[in-house]
Amino acid sequence: MELTAKSRNSLVAMYLSVGGLIILAMMIFGILMLMAQGGMLDLSPAAFYQFLTIHGTGMVGAAAFAAAGVMWYFLSKEVKLSKKIFKLNAVLFLVGVVMVIIGVFSFEYASAWTFLYPLPAISANAWGITGALLYLFGMLILGIGFLLLYIDTGRAIIKKQGSLAKGLGWDVISGKKEEKDAPTPTIVASTMVTIVNITALTAGAIVLIMNIINVINPAFTFDPLLAKNLTFAFGHIFANSIIYMAVIAVYEILSKYTKRPWKANKPFLIAWNMSTVFTLLIYTHHMLMDSVMPTWMLIMGQVLSYANGLPVLIITAYGALMIVYKSGIKWDMASGLIYISMFGWVVGVVPAIIDATIVVNQVMHNTKWVPGHFHLYMALGACAMLFGFMYYLAKEDSAIRTNAFDKFGLFGYTIAILALGGSFLVSGALSTPRRWATHFPDWMAPANFGAVAGALAAIALTIYIIHFVRYMMMRNKQDKDVEKISA
Amino acid sequence: MIQTVAWITSLIFMSFVVIVFGIVALKSKEKRDYEPIKKKWYKARTFYGSVLVIFMLAVTIYTLRDLPYNQPVYGEGSEPTVVDVEAFQFGWNISETEFSAGEPIEFKVTAADVTHGFGIYDEDMNLIAQTQAMPEYTNTVYITFDEPGTYEILCMEYCGLAHHLMIEEIVVK
Repeated sequence: MELTAKSRNSLVAMYLSVGGLIILAMMIFGILMLMAQGGMLDLSPAAFYQFLTIHGTGMVGAAAFAAAGVMWYFLSKEVKLSKKIFKLNAVLFLVGVVMVIIGVFSFEYASAWTFLYPLPAISANAWGITGALLYLFGMLILGIGFLLLYIDTGRAIIKKQGSLAKGLGWDVISGKKEEKDAPTPTIVASTMVTIVNITALTAGAIVLIMNIINVINPAFTFDPLLAKNLTFAFGHIFANSIIYMAVIAVYEILSKYTKRPWKANKPFLIAWNMSTVFTLLIYTHHMLMDSVMPTWMLIMGQVLSYANGLPVLIITAYGALMIVYKSGIKWDMASGLIYISMFGWVVGVVPAIIDATIVVNQVMHNTKWVPGHFHLYMALGACAMLFGFMYYLAKEDSAIRTNAFDKFGLFGYTIAILALGGSFLVSGALSTPRRWATHFPDWMAPANFGAVAGALAAIALTIYIIHFVRYMMMRNKQDKDVEKISA
Repeated sequence: MIQTVAWITSLIFMSFVVIVFGIVALKSKEKRDYEPIKKKWYKARTFYGSVLVIFMLAVTIYTLRDLPYNQPVYGEGSEPTVVDVEAFQFGWNISETEFSAGEPIEFKVTAADVTHGFGIYDEDMNLIAQTQAMPEYTNTVYITFDEPGTYEILCMEYCGLAHHLMIEEIVVK
């Protein structure tokens, strides 16, 4: 199948619109949960934990799906990717999503996205085998789709560069090749994501299959600590990869808007190699409160989490600031959101690094401090990259214009996520546990504040989606007009 | 209190990030040649990067000196009280729930069914220590309560629909 600019844009627009709509729906579940915790809404624990399960699973799944669209858009301009596999991933994603939704809402499955073994099988009669199997198989099918996609990106990168090592610029780092011949930032980032996500999805598939067997036949058991390691290796890496896919949009869009090149040099390549290794290894910072883990692994969790901040703080964010500084850049929705996304990434890294400190983690682990940092990093970092790309694609591919609502959306979203993230961090500092259906009165105010902030974020995202849908409609109309003229 | 330190430290660094991104955004309207900017700011990056690495190394060394996983050195004749804790859906079996201020305690924490979290809250509902309660494994919390009072144990890992009801009291006299 030949990939034309038109078919590329259509497929990628489909990925972004599906991702955007699911993120919006998940935001609403998030707002409802905060309202319930704040005492504004009477929600049964069963409903709350179902919302919790769908919110976590859906947010990461949808953002990863949309980010894969961004990566595919830019990577397909440099290597020959399979359109069939890109479409197959979309089909498997939708099948997986439907199964997860049915499992959660029709069969009351509520293990949270972490599905920590043996919770899927031992629910104290809250849900049955059917719900658990629908969720676990749904996740497995969804994961297989992504796995096929990354096998394809890996294949295509190897074909063009010679190997994944060369995709990460090892020959440039070792001096065998000159810097001017280094792979592009898009290739480097895509290689990193291919490596880490094939690893993550394999770990995820193993733990999902073991849970499935345990649900069907409880006599089959396995080690809970091994299961926890696999779950967090899968979840941490896969969730992290979203920003590493989406950041390709930052490299491409900022360099285009500022008319300044963003090329891979040695420090850039070393930083991405560091990110590859650290992203694979630092999931142990989720297990700092498991003292039965080997202590060296937990110390590694802290040390490498600190180190993982360096590539973004010294290379990517610094590069973004440098490229924008005195560039005469034209600010619009795309460049604005992309710039905000780098700010969101860096601002979210701060409380993340602090929480990865073992002595801090002892009083912060599983408090709302954790969603505090990742809402900043994911919503204001990764998702702002996705939304910025949506505006960029719409502008590149149609004559659509933005209006005052869009501007309101940009400022509204930024303020909303800062307020939401701040409310979670305050809750964490007050020792409020995360994933609690109800709160003590002293913990309620930040939750209510967060719900209001969340509502503002949802309004802003609705504006973005309306703009994107208008673009897609305009595009279809243009196509129809062209067909009429040719006829 | 560690939470306050974490919050203030975060606020300071996050404010710094706001200022830097704000200044660059304000300066973005000017248009200058990129080469001199690159030259100047690559140099600055070497300095900034080195300072950041040294700072992080110092914080790492400082914060790793005393880990909660290590058994404290007890004074002569001051043997710790060992308390067995078993979490279950949805409650706690704790072998002893009354202690004296200044008494060293080792909570040996496990779970009967699924993974739970053993979080100890003081009277002001500040989390002061925690560990995971896992089936087949035993994690240890080493703690000495300095202040008398009623402390609460809360579940810190999602374990099912009554997770938020897993609350138990312990008393320190």
